Amino acid sequence: MNLKDISTSVPKKDHKGKVSGQLAYISDLKVENMVFGVLYRSPIAYGKIKSIQVPDLPLGYEVVGAEDIPGPNYVKIIKEDQPIFANEWVNYIGEPILMLVGKDLDILYGLLEKVKIEWEEYQAIFTLEEAIKQKAAPGVTMANYEFGESLEIISAIEQGAHQIIEEEYDTGYQEHVYLEPQGMLAIYKDDEIVVQGSMQCLYYIKNALITALDCGDDDVRVVQSPTGGGFGGKEEFPSMMACHVAVAAKAVKKSVMLVFDRSEDMVVTTKRHPAKLKYRTALDKEGNILSMCVEVYLDGGANVGLSSVVLQRALLNSAGVYKIPHFHAKGYVLKTHTVPNGAFRGFGAPQSFAGIESHIGHLSKRANIDPLEYKRKYLVKQGDPTITKGNFRDPILMEEMIEDLLNTTDYKKKKVEFQTFNHHNQRYKKGIGTSLFLHGCGFTGSGERDHIKATVKLFKSKDDLVSLKISNSDMGQGIYTTLSKIVAKELDLPYEKVSYPYPDTKEVPDSGPTVASRTTMIVGKLLERAAKKLKAQWQNGVEQEVTENYVHREMIPWNELTFTGDAYPAYSWGVNFVEVEVDTLTGNVKLENVYANYEVGKVIDDRVMKGQIDGGLAQGLAYGYLEKMTSKEGRIQQKSITDYGPPTSMDVVSIQSKVFDNPYADGPYGAKGAGELTLIGGAPAVQAAIEDALQTPFQQIPITPEVIIESLWLREGEEG
Amino acid sequence: MAEKIIAYRFDQVDQTLSQLNKEDCTIIAGGTDVMVLYKSRRGVPPKITKPIVFIDHLNELKQVYKKGKDLHIGACCTYSDLLNDPLIPTPLKNAIKTIAAPAIRNRGTLGGNICNASPAGDTLPLLYVYNAKLVLRSVSGVRIVAISDFIQGVRRVDRKSNEILAEIILPSELEEGAYAVFEKVGNRNADAIAKVGFAGYIRTNGEVIKDIRFAFGAVGPTMVRSVDIEKKLIGKTIPLAGADIAQVLSAFDKIIKPIDDQRSTARYRKTVALNLLRYFLSRKQYQHN
Ligand SMILES: Cc1cc2nc3c(=O)[nH]c(=O)nc-3n(C[C@H](O)[C@H](O)[C@H](O)COP(=O)(O)OP(=O)(O)OC[C@H]3O[C@@H](n4cnc5c(N)ncnc54)[C@H](O)[C@@H]3O)c2cc1C
Repeated sequence: MNLKDISTSVPKKDHKGKVSGQLAYISDLKVENMVFGVLYRSPIAYGKIKSIQVPDLPLGYEVVGAEDIPGPNYVKIIKEDQPIFANEWVNYIGEPILMLVGKDLDILYGLLEKVKIEWEEYQAIFTLEEAIKQKAAPGVTMANYEFGESLEIISAIEQGAHQIIEEEYDTGYQEHVYLEPQGMLAIYKDDEIVVQGSMQCLYYIKNALITALDCGDDDVRVVQSPTGGGFGGKEEFPSMMACHVAVAAKAVKKSVMLVFDRSEDMVVTTKRHPAKLKYRTALDKEGNILSMCVEVYLDGGANVGLSSVVLQRALLNSAGVYKIPHFHAKGYVLKTHTVPNGAFRGFGAPQSFAGIESHIGHLSKRANIDPLEYKRKYLVKQGDPTITKGNFRDPILMEEMIEDLLNTTDYKKKKVEFQTFNHHNQRYKKGIGTSLFLHGCGFTGSGERDHIKATVKLFKSKDDLVSLKISNSDMGQGIYTTLSKIVAKELDLPYEKVSYPYPDTKEVPDSGPTVASRTTMIVGKLLERAAKKLKAQWQNGVEQEVTENYVHREMIPWNELTFTGDAYPAYSWGVNFVEVEVDTLTGNVKLENVYANYEVGKVIDDRVMKGQIDGGLAQGLAYGYLEKMTSKEGRIQQKSITDYGPPTSMDVVSIQSKVFDNPYADGPYGAKGAGELTLIGGAPAVQAAIEDALQTPFQQIPITPEVIIESLWLREGEEG
Repeated sequence: MAEKIIAYRFDQVDQTLSQLNKEDCTIIAGGTDVMVLYKSRRGVPPKITKPIVFIDHLNELKQVYKKGKDLHIGACCTYSDLLNDPLIPTPLKNAIKTIAAPAIRNRGTLGGNICNASPAGDTLPLLYVYNAKLVLRSVSGVRIVAISDFIQGVRRVDRKSNEILAEIILPSELEEGAYAVFEKVGNRNADAIAKVGFAGYIRTNGEVIKDIRFAFGAVGPTMVRSVDIEKKLIGKTIPLAGADIAQVLSAFDKIIKPIDDQRSTARYRKTVALNLLRYFLSRKQYQHN
């Protein structure tokens, strides 16, 4: 197959294995001399371990704990605050304390019940609300940042303002619900430990293993196995499981498999940070914004993990797509004794966009202007500064995308129609809502240059087949296909002649983690350049290898301390329009029409992009009204997919989407990031639509039927 | 490694019944509740301690037919069978469409839904307002009980260990002028466990109410139904007066006692149950179905 336009879809590289059900995932594997591991987890939220008593173990069964870790007892991520096996303090229900290994899972589960631990229990912090009250107490604030306009200037503006509006907004947990629960296998060999499993970031795991095993670079090897979805849930969490199985394999000299079932996965793995956002906005008489202060509080859970970076992105997006005069923001990651929260598609941005879109929507009501019209007044334009004194230097197509959807949906007419419908229908109410959003592509600031330093290789065999040597994971998002396409097109080779084997750290350089919507844009660009290089040196019938290293785009340098400069090299953009019908008797929300326009530079494969749009938007919409996870005294309440309630095909309508071309010079064929962007607009648009239907403001997501019924009930009370 | 399991699969109902008479067994029809109930953690097979008797293949238990005014439905009819059967009343079909998703509907049976006696069983509210009767068979013969007597609590039914549920009889289904409706409130549109279920049934002669019944699911250990409250409305005319509606609502307000759980709140369940009842009672007319 030869590719004319890069966007034309091709069969996905992994299509056959997945569709036929033949592809073996990690839990399908059996290797010689393999035992299973099961984790004994803390039943209490906060306390000190006084003693651990393990029952007598039958032959072939062993216990593995903190004493067996050759290196220091923490999972290397950013800070050293996450034990591999908690042996002194426990900080959340479900924290791993020790592992039992052996051949038969049934026997292992029985033995787990007999482990006895004596505790000294302490008063835990269970909710973000409690943590905010105690944020000055030692250890509660795990990270914080502040930037923007000086508070003196804002205070002067507020004094002269007509009105000051204060709002508080809450967002809930979100669970990834990747189809394949987490799983990791350590294969024991005399001279190396091979860790294989479901993962997004091979070198994060490798680095964590080198620390935990206190070993050399050649003593561990990380191999990705087919990965059934990640959504960020397999960014940092697998590092902990990898440490568990590798430490165990070393200790018992056998291969060790650790796989979660759905309920264990739902209860102990990382989630999207619940957040509280506070807005304080000064308005003039006409309802124009004079200044705005935003505070963001993230519930980090029991350890900081990646939360500080998540907070950075939340803050960088705290003004949405708007140019707000005199903007100030600060944010905190707070500790609670609950399951640690971590990476999730959007990485802090979904909370911020839900909050700012909600707030701006509410301000438009006060100004008596249609929300979309009000938002457009503040929309950033090419050349505008960012809230961190960076620059939106590339063309912005938001106006075109909005106009297009105004026409497609017949927005003005629909608003009138819905009003008439709502007037006549007692039970059902229709509404339309919009969201405007962006996503900063790649790592924040100079992360790519200073921390990641990506390297890619292309290898050509004697028979002129080319393979990609990179450490990125296809987790279903389609990079096997898209990155292979880029290389094939650049080399003028048929797509079939380019392969992308499952990455193995023994074979591939560190091209960085598969996160932050960076893979197509950053790694894809490196591959494009590598392919150019290979093409220039191409010799038929000869083995060849080329290497490319990351080159930084010239920008306004990012300063993490002052929070100034260009936070991202490029931005992708989106506009969503959502129509709903709300059942006022039950509070159930039915999606009626969903429209989505995106700008991601250039699409590398139409069908792969459509997959990102449909999946991402469904996940984003559900975040706004459907998916509900709660924690009660430190315990996650929803342990099954049914109880948590991600959308089924009966809940999501067919999504009417378009993607606008706006090629970006530093992306392959002009491509920017697309994976996270598609999620971000869902929740705010669905909220706006529900508000439009019910003519009631909400201050939280998800807006579940329970929330809707409660608000209708309160309103009825007010109206008497 | 796996423990030995005894399982029977007889060709005839009679053989099945005589085995059940000899030993206490776990009956499996579709198995969609049983397999969940006995599920173990990952990698370990379900632990069913009693011998298993499969009944899903028994044709005698899969018939749907009319007998006089009554509709007889075989207990082992799957939901998919019933959706394809022209004799099954539309409200029941609509209720079935809210259950699970196609794969489970190809296995799950009406008899299983009844015998499982979950407060969230989605066929139960309608079966209550239809005054469904259950045909229980054992070696000693046939016993017929009202569904409201059969279901006694959460997963508790009045079934002797040697009995099987053979048929479900809907006696009043075909009565003239009857209208029935079921509404399921779940967290999503498929594969959801009901947070509230409501069934309403009304039979009118002109504008006069001849018979009226309501049943609520998922708001108590069993379906909530009150013949006493229903009786107060018989003889009244449609549309009902506001005061009559208010009286019924306040009577149910006292007997609906839902709980908070991981799926919803007591307050939501109660409010919505009463909303659906109010809506049913406030209708100006009822299309017969
Ligand atoms: C994913 C999933 C989704 C589901 N969704 C729903 C839903 O939306 N709504 C809902 O109501 N239910 C739902 N269920 C539950 C289940 O599918 C239904 O209750 C179904 O009707 C059970 O029928 P079965 O034939 O599979 O029962 P089985 O599991 O075979 O049996 C259930 C119980 O009844 C007994 N039993 C069965 N038949 C007889 C008989 N003829 N005589 C005597 N005893 C008998 C069994 O011994 C057992 O105790 C769901 C289940 C799953 C797994």
